[in-house]
Amino acid sequence: MIKIIIIFATFIYLPLSVALEPLAEEEMQQVQGQGGVYLSGDITINDTGGPLNNTADTSNPAIWQKNCTTISTDVRCGARIAVNAGDGSNSGWLVLDNIRGRFSFEGLTLTTRTIDSGFDGDGATFNNDVLEIGLPNTVSYGDVSYTLANSSQARPTDAGFQQTDIFSVNINGDVSLRGNLLLFPTGNP
Amino acid sequence: MKNIKLILCALGFFVSLSAYSLEQLSDSSLSRVQGQAGLTVEQSQLINIGNLSYTDDGNSVNVEGLRFSSQTDPNATASRTYTFDVLEDGGLKIKTDIKPTQMHIDGIRINNSGASFGDLTLNYEAITDFTIRGMSTGGLEGNFTTGISNAELIWNTNGYAMSFDNIGYNASIDNFTLEYDVTDNTKGFLRTGLALGMDNFNFSFSTGALSLGGVSLGELAGNLALSANAQIFAGGRLGDEGLTFHSQVNILADPANEVRFTDEGNSLLMGDFSGALNLTNLTFDVESDHLAIGFDQMDGSFNAGRILIGDSLRPVGSIELDFLLNDDSVNNRYNRLQLYPGIRQPDFNAMPTEIKSYAQSFYAGLGPASEGLSMTTQWNLANAELSYIDDNRRVVISGIESYGSANTTIDVRDKKIAIGVSDLVGSYSIDGLRVGSKTAPIQGGAELLLSLEVFQAMDFDIDGFTEITAGGISGGGIRIDGDYFFNNANIGLSVDENGEGIWATGVNYDIHLRDITFDVESDGLKINRGEQWSTMDIANLRWGSKTSGRSLGRVKLERFEQNSSLAVIPGGAGQVCVGATGSTEAACGSAGGRWEDRGEQGMTVSLKAAFANAGLTTDGSATARNRLTWENNRNETSPGSGEYVNGTGTQIIFDNYSTNDGLGTTDSNDYGLQANLNIDVYETKVLKKSTDALGDLGDELIYDDASRTDFTYVTSPSPAQKELRPLGFAVQGNVSFKELNIGAVQLKHPNSVAQTVFYGVVMQNLDLTTNLTATPIQ
Repeated sequence: MIKIIIIFATFIYLPLSVALEPLAEEEMQQVQGQGGVYLSGDITINDTGGPLNNTADTSNPAIWQKNCTTISTDVRCGARIAVNAGDGSNSGWLVLDNIRGRFSFEGLTLTTRTIDSGFDGDGATFNNDVLEIGLPNTVSYGDVSYTLANSSQARPTDAGFQQTDIFSVNINGDVSLRGNLLLFPTGNP
Repeated sequence: MKNIKLILCALGFFVSLSAYSLEQLSDSSLSRVQGQAGLTVEQSQLINIGNLSYTDDGNSVNVEGLRFSSQTDPNATASRTYTFDVLEDGGLKIKTDIKPTQMHIDGIRINNSGASFGDLTLNYEAITDFTIRGMSTGGLEGNFTTGISNAELIWNTNGYAMSFDNIGYNASIDNFTLEYDVTDNTKGFLRTGLALGMDNFNFSFSTGALSLGGVSLGELAGNLALSANAQIFAGGRLGDEGLTFHSQVNILADPANEVRFTDEGNSLLMGDFSGALNLTNLTFDVESDHLAIGFDQMDGSFNAGRILIGDSLRPVGSIELDFLLNDDSVNNRYNRLQLYPGIRQPDFNAMPTEIKSYAQSFYAGLGPASEGLSMTTQWNLANAELSYIDDNRRVVISGIESYGSANTTIDVRDKKIAIGVSDLVGSYSIDGLRVGSKTAPIQGGAELLLSLEVFQAMDFDIDGFTEITAGGISGGGIRIDGDYFFNNANIGLSVDENGEGIWATGVNYDIHLRDITFDVESDGLKINRGEQWSTMDIANLRWGSKTSGRSLGRVKLERFEQNSSLAVIPGGAGQVCVGATGSTEAACGSAGGRWEDRGEQGMTVSLKAAFANAGLTTDGSATARNRLTWENNRNETSPGSGEYVNGTGTQIIFDNYSTNDGLGTTDSNDYGLQANLNIDVYETKVLKKSTDALGDLGDELIYDDASRTDFTYVTSPSPAQKELRPLGFAVQGNVSFKELNIGAVQLKHPNSVAQTVFYGVVMQNLDLTTNLTATPIQ
């Protein structure tokens, strides 16, 4: 459910007004003094393939039955997202394919707080509650990869399936993320 | 001796009520009587009492058709033997041997009400040993043992029965005292009452089966050792007559204390428990149409050191509960229970339309004279503290408060128990968490309980109708069908102790469950959810106050699932490599990961959600689908009201999302969306997020001692210091699906047809694993 919280936060991130707020050192100290949740750990996608790659499950289509290990490079070992942004059956699909990798982080915080001061005087005017996502200082990427493609069908098993890969990405290393994301409703509900 | 006379007189009175048959004794029988000390009375009895009444302030409870007879023939006698011996210390020892006997009650009514509580039958045999003597200070004392075996209790309403089969019960009291010298003035005048004391009261019970229509729900058994004192006074809470009790119960710390529910040989067990219970002013009164029961205060504690779910080798951990229920006259919140004979149906016209037809169907066929039990309940939980202890690491859910009231009916139908709840109106809230000890500072983080679908706060108004049938997915077990509606509820998703945070307000939640089965299996508790459909319509998702906080708009979530399941399995994640891949501590460390051994205890929740494609429900009563709608820019009901008219704004719709086994919506849906959560309480690495006088960026927060009150930042903690890291929930989670399909993503303006943005989103072959530790922030 912690994941669901994150997914929820991600979901509400899209339609909300978001302020990326640089914090002074003394403000960042206060994160420790407030209620909320501190998250650490990692998120791994298809480390050893997905459920369609399970060769012991005979109901899986043959095209997906692959021996996926952590070092396997088979393009079917990753997750796949296909989106039809055209006009249905007459158009093709935009695909994010072979999604794999690990994200590690220490110190993602989730909390709600009231802003009624600061921000060069705007805080007093705002005087409302926000959901604060405290970014971790470092997010480590381990073999994060995906392929962007166009496809004639949604699934590799669909009749007439053809796919053209546009480019592939592989990321290793650390990304520094500091500060807080503040999420709050705005406009007419 | 005076007391012994009283007992003999009482026995004589009881005997006088009986119908006897004089049996001729043989010479050999007579010789046995001559050859023994004391007195032996062999009795064959057939007792028929047309009506036995208890009257309180002019109102009567009438027990109709009370009969003691043979079990095989209600017109035949049952036999029992009384043996009386006078002991050397002046005590009287009475041994009773009751041969198979049936006690039957045709019905229990209040003031000759049209409906009764139903009829009761108890088949039993028993051996009782009872010793009593006078006390030098006045009163009586003694000891007591009893053993009831081959017993069966049957409750029958409207021609249908529920039974507890093959009951066994053994009890003993090492020493009891009974004195008439205790006083009380809670009613504004001084009264004297009976004081009852029990030292080391041990009892055990077992039922071979709890059956409905001959099918078993499972077996129930337990052992308990306690010491108790009670004070009993004439005069209840209402009027002049009635009864008042005070009691103080101490559940003795005994590893044998346990309660066990067994289904097909697999058990849910709560054992090694201890605690205390204090009751003040527990009262019983008979009113014109109901029994009135209430108490001023009940407080106590309950500790269970051993909890098993199926697997006897893998305990889940332990729990400790401290609680206080008391009356709050300032806010008009009380602890009361009113019991009515028969089924008191709710006012259907006052019900929300979403549940009205289901309620009418639930009570169809029942009338004013239908048998059953109706209750009106009020409660006020002033405070509770619930600890969960996993491998000696403690998390306390602190400041639990709740109050409310409800109307409930219970009756037995054809192979099912029917429970109707209407106007369940109330509220609950949780202040926050304490980690490490009961006295640690209170922290935020009760949001973590969302993983168990426990919300931090809720104001609710619920109508719900449930039918419980015997038999799970295999053998015994429990099956549930039900319809529920939450009307205009407020749900706290992330709320501080002042009630500020993120609220879902004005929530109408319509839930329908079909063929939900509960089974205890060798590796855990399995819940198979045959079919369920629901609509959660959140009028406003607010930030800040639940009444005036800014609103994100309306969120509506419709769900339709078939053959989903949930399993609760003992044991958490065990050994985990966080941040890398490695099956040993050395391999994990060399790969750049952090090795965590989260112990043997903990809990695993395994969920399968099979989202069905849009269509008719199995019973054909509704068309259901999975759909998420977010709407804003609505018209205000009146300028400045802060309330908005649903359907007048702009909507974004994620329509008809469903799962399948990889070939599209026409494929099978056996895999669904699976989520496995291994939950432990474990030390968490918390890093400093800035450099200042307290420490440098990246330093670790380490508590000074096990009280986990004060902390310092440490650059490189020692192994001993790592043991003093902040505690939190450690969740190893895995989410996977073969295919998750969204039929369309649409935009809809008021008074127009929805426009499609995406004609389909197909997500396949996802296996997402997380190793997260979540710590409350002070």
